[in-house]
Amino acid sequence: MKALLEVKDLKKSFGSRQAVDGISFEVEEGDVFGLLGPNGAGKSTTLSMICGLLKANSGSVTVGGYDIAAESMAAKKLIGIVPQEPALYTQLSAKANLRFWGRINGLRGKELNRAVDEVLDLVGLTDRASGRIGKFSGGMKRRLNIAAGLIHSPKLLIMDEPTVGIDPQSRNHILETVKNLKQKGITVIYTSHYVEEVEALCNQVAIMDNGTIIAEGSLAELQKKGGQFQELNIDLNSYPEKAQSAIQMLPGVEETFLIDQKLKIVTPNAEQILPLALEAISRQGVTIGEIKIHKPNLESLFLKLTGKALRD
Amino acid sequence: MKKTIAVVSVGIRQMLADPLYLVFALAVPLLMTWVMSFLPTGDGSYEMAILGVLVMFVGLNIITSAGGYIIDEKQTGTWQRILASPTSYWELMTGYFIKIFVLAWLQSLVLLLSSKYLFGAPWNQGYLEVVVVLTVYIFAMTGLGLFIAGFVKSTGQVQMVAMAVVMVGTMLGGVFFPIEEPSGIIKLIGTVSPQSWAARALQEILTSGINLTTLVTPLLWMSAIGLLLLIGGVLKLQLES
Ligand SMILES: Nc1ncnc2c1ncn2[C@@H]1O[C@H](COP(=O)(O)OP(=O)(O)OP(=O)(O)O)[C@@H](O)[C@H]1O
Ligand SMILES: [Mg+2]
Repeated sequence: MKALLEVKDLKKSFGSRQAVDGISFEVEEGDVFGLLGPNGAGKSTTLSMICGLLKANSGSVTVGGYDIAAESMAAKKLIGIVPQEPALYTQLSAKANLRFWGRINGLRGKELNRAVDEVLDLVGLTDRASGRIGKFSGGMKRRLNIAAGLIHSPKLLIMDEPTVGIDPQSRNHILETVKNLKQKGITVIYTSHYVEEVEALCNQVAIMDNGTIIAEGSLAELQKKGGQFQELNIDLNSYPEKAQSAIQMLPGVEETFLIDQKLKIVTPNAEQILPLALEAISRQGVTIGEIKIHKPNLESLFLKLTGKALRD
Repeated sequence: MKKTIAVVSVGIRQMLADPLYLVFALAVPLLMTWVMSFLPTGDGSYEMAILGVLVMFVGLNIITSAGGYIIDEKQTGTWQRILASPTSYWELMTGYFIKIFVLAWLQSLVLLLSSKYLFGAPWNQGYLEVVVVLTVYIFAMTGLGLFIAGFVKSTGQVQMVAMAVVMVGTMLGGVFFPIEEPSGIIKLIGTVSPQSWAARALQEILTSGINLTTLVTPLLWMSAIGLLLLIGGVLKLQLES
């Protein structure tokens, strides 16, 4: 089966700055595809080219087999977008906004009414339908922004950092909404610089930095690439050096570091080491504070590939 | 076509729901029309002043809403969102154009009718000619507004250009006070200013009654310049998006 979205060798520069530098990937129908990258990586620029708002310098994008440049109207019908900042008419009500975005996408009459009710329900704003959105909270505007992207039941929903700068409650609501969409079989491109969100939602992931994709694959594959080693961090209350030398002897411990009272143990399997380590520590008569296991994730993969943190 | 209508209707509702717009486009010019009605009648300066208020505020309204609205929509992202939908650039621009036209005509009607029925201005003839002259004036100003929108980056800049063009055209064009023995530059402004031309033409039509045939040349000029500006602005905006 052909992929729903095919991006081939896409490039875009602004002046001398190469914002997107030859990226290619495919998104299959039903995927929730995570595009992860730090600020300025080129995520929004990539999305703008996918939905036909920005002309690429070279490369191609096809959606459902339609080329976004040559058959743009057919391709655009399949796409719904959720821009990084809510793009709505603030003087009008939630309902008036959704009706407008429905009309712009070709919906009429009963079909339009039904779609408006459906998406309002989906984002949990039915009881605020007639409220002027200038008065909405940031989180509510973002939810309506998602509803506007879904009004014409697109096959591919493109979401650009939909949870940046909002309260935890709205954020959870949005994450639940995306899970909901996944269940309904809607294909989603989810852009973020929050590793936890991508890990919770996406099955396929591409990591971007400086305009290129530096890692790509299924979530599990990439997590594995993040490293074979896990970290076990134990806060010690007394005699840390004694504890360190005892633990250093245990089988399966690769390395240990001691920073102040914190003992860092590098090991292929933290769960296996943990009971042995605790036993060894208590034999030395040392008491412990906090214990943390740090498993390899996309963050550590990014760190490994670029030597920098994903978030400042 | 249906998408164009959606753009027109959402645009008009968004503007009319904005209290600042209503104050600027209706309340202030109405107040000024009322103030002008205390001017002495008889020598024509009263009629000229009322029509001056009309052309000035219609001009300001058109340029700021044509230019400002597009820049505003680009900043909030609704412009991009419309263009990311299966709606063509031409459907969108036609919608903007109609919206500006309708708003400017609504404003003109309110000001003309209120000056006649509330403040007793002696308008009693030449209604067809008024429609023609105002339509051409509104068209030319819309062209200018869209042209400015293509070249200016912020709403603040739009306001500055609007102020400069319309204020200079109205004040130095001799609309509010006759300028005796104008110097070369003032004379030039009086000749090329659309505000000066429109106010004068409207006054003659409404008070002494003149035939359209005497206005054919300036009408054609205004339409032609408006059209050129319109095409320039629309193409420039398309290049950018
Ligand atoms: N219109 C533009 N003109 C000039 N430079 C631009 C433009 N749009 C983006 N850039 C530059 O291109 C690079 C990529 O920007 P982009 O917005 O795609 O990053 P991003 O990954 O979406 O970042 P963020 O997480 O901050 O949203 C940045 O360095 C940015 O400054
Ligand atoms: Mg971005």
